[in-house]
Amino acid sequence: MAEHPRLPHAQDKLAFLLSLVAYLRDRGRVSVAEAAAHFDVDAAQIREAVRLLVVTGVPGTTKAYQPDDLFDIAWDDFEQDDIIVLTNLVAIEDAPRLSAREASALIAGLQYLAALPEASDRAAIASLTDKLSRGASGAISAVSIEASTDDGALAIIRSAVEHGRRLAFWYRNAKGEGHERRVEPLRVDSVDNDWYLRGWDVEREAVRTYRLDRMSEVRVLDEAADTGRPAAAAVHRLVDDRLFNDAEASVVVTLEVVPAALPLLGEFVSDDAEIAAAGDRVRVETRVAHFHTLKRQVAALPGLVEVLSPPEAREAVRAWARDARAAYDA
Amino acid sequence: MAERIRAEERLFSLVLALLTSEHGLTKNEILSTVQGYRERYEFGGDLTNLERQFERDKDDIRELGVPLETLEPPGEPGNNQNTRYRIPRVGYELPHDIAFTPEESALLKLAAMVWRDGAASAEARRAMLKLSGLGVDTAELALQYAPRLRVRDAAFEPLRSAIEKRRVVRFGYLKPGEDAATQRELAPLALTRFAELWHLYAEEPGTGRRKTFLLSRITTPVTITKTELPARDGDPAAESRAELEKLWAEQSALLEAQPSTDAESRLLRRPGTSRRDDGLLVVHFTDLSVLADQLCSYGPEVVVIAPEELKRAVRSRLDRVGGDHG
Repeated sequence: MAEHPRLPHAQDKLAFLLSLVAYLRDRGRVSVAEAAAHFDVDAAQIREAVRLLVVTGVPGTTKAYQPDDLFDIAWDDFEQDDIIVLTNLVAIEDAPRLSAREASALIAGLQYLAALPEASDRAAIASLTDKLSRGASGAISAVSIEASTDDGALAIIRSAVEHGRRLAFWYRNAKGEGHERRVEPLRVDSVDNDWYLRGWDVEREAVRTYRLDRMSEVRVLDEAADTGRPAAAAVHRLVDDRLFNDAEASVVVTLEVVPAALPLLGEFVSDDAEIAAAGDRVRVETRVAHFHTLKRQVAALPGLVEVLSPPEAREAVRAWARDARAAYDA
Repeated sequence: MAERIRAEERLFSLVLALLTSEHGLTKNEILSTVQGYRERYEFGGDLTNLERQFERDKDDIRELGVPLETLEPPGEPGNNQNTRYRIPRVGYELPHDIAFTPEESALLKLAAMVWRDGAASAEARRAMLKLSGLGVDTAELALQYAPRLRVRDAAFEPLRSAIEKRRVVRFGYLKPGEDAATQRELAPLALTRFAELWHLYAEEPGTGRRKTFLLSRITTPVTITKTELPARDGDPAAESRAELEKLWAEQSALLEAQPSTDAESRLLRRPGTSRRDDGLLVVHFTDLSVLADQLCSYGPEVVVIAPEELKRAVRSRLDRVGGDHG
């Protein structure tokens, strides 16, 4: 059987097996589909784990892995109905502890999310942190993260979704132009300290991405959010992992970058971008719809990034720096 | 020869055997009886490879947070023939009073998503696998989220490991305002993300003084030395945060931002930013050159009024950008 790509390491598979046994013991009787959904793995992976369980156990008093020393299941239920019932349990009763690093990764993630409306109850975060710390087998390593800031727009967006309503706000785009937008919210994304709303733009009839800090006068409309909005199942297809819709990104820009600064270009350099060596620098191409965001990004990395082409992009960066510099000559 | 047993089956069998053995098993008992080893065990034969396998497996199991104990027989230190291994149930299992509500479970799932790459991502995912063993259902959130925190600093992972292992580290560091990096040897205490930057809080072994370093200014790979340090009292993460907040409060710049621009909305969003009666913004910072880089990206949307040093830094950066694109 092909290995599922999401659990590549034997260590991950071990953690999965140990947890699965505790879960199966707790549930008593559970379908493969339900277990797969619960662990967020595919059904084949659950079946593979069950088949492994029934050939494992402890050496036992005879040191020979007698049937009583092995896990066993109700075979008819499993083979005919895809249902798991453990009929013999070995050694394991409860779920394993977290390692200190595992607990610390989750705790740091919680700190980052502290600004979400779902986490607005400070006591809830503190109680979760306490539980994770007590559930760890060692002292939690000291990693602490500031909450990503939020000006309250998230709570309004959430309220619109909860009530199935459209949202309206004034949006200033990358060019600095302001427009009133009506949007049916689909999902909120964040990258570091920047938060984005992805939604169905009613006027444009397309999924668009909006930066929360460019939105103002956010309010819930008394209009149902169902016309034109794609069905929930389709949301995932429409909202892929690329933050920016490149349908409008038609201009190819060539950048020359100090290798160490490459990660600093963030969304400009996609994971599959081709990177070519050019002396002690590297060259990379990116597609943009306009130069407004590009010029800001390049100006923030003085001496580290140069726009090679097209000439209009070079000029946009030059003019941006020149106009800024002029204020100091006055 | 028996069919080769998969690694997870061998590891799983080892955990089961050590959990059920009250007094522990010797290495020889393990290699000769536990599934995954016994198939390759030859009585009186060469066990070197099998023993090496066992050493690696012990490390893998411990790394998962499973407390695999080594019991030296009394009066026979160093005689590893009689060393016994076991996993005490109490240290292995999640405490019984730990349970999560469906809402908490949903929040944990989001917290695990925050890390999308690097070791922390795999660890968060494994933590969720384990917590799934508790059988908690996850509440559906009204609004879908896809949170993501990127760690761009190569020093992050080695420093996290060093903090956990309480080891002294060495790296090259470019102090703000200096031209050349200097070699540092430090006891790392905490990693803190503050004002969108990662900071290391560390102690100088010689003087015991605690200082803050910016990860983005570390210029060499981080070397983890063999020097181990005793555990420290207190909460270094909280201490580090307090230091950074103090520095943030002490250092400020006076800026003029164009109304209704990205510059204005982003500067206003920084903690502690205030607007004076004359409309100028008082903006706080921890590192002047980092602030200068940020201000350059705003172009003509912002002008530095004070301090003079920040003005100079922004001017020279703009000259560089203009020159490179002239």
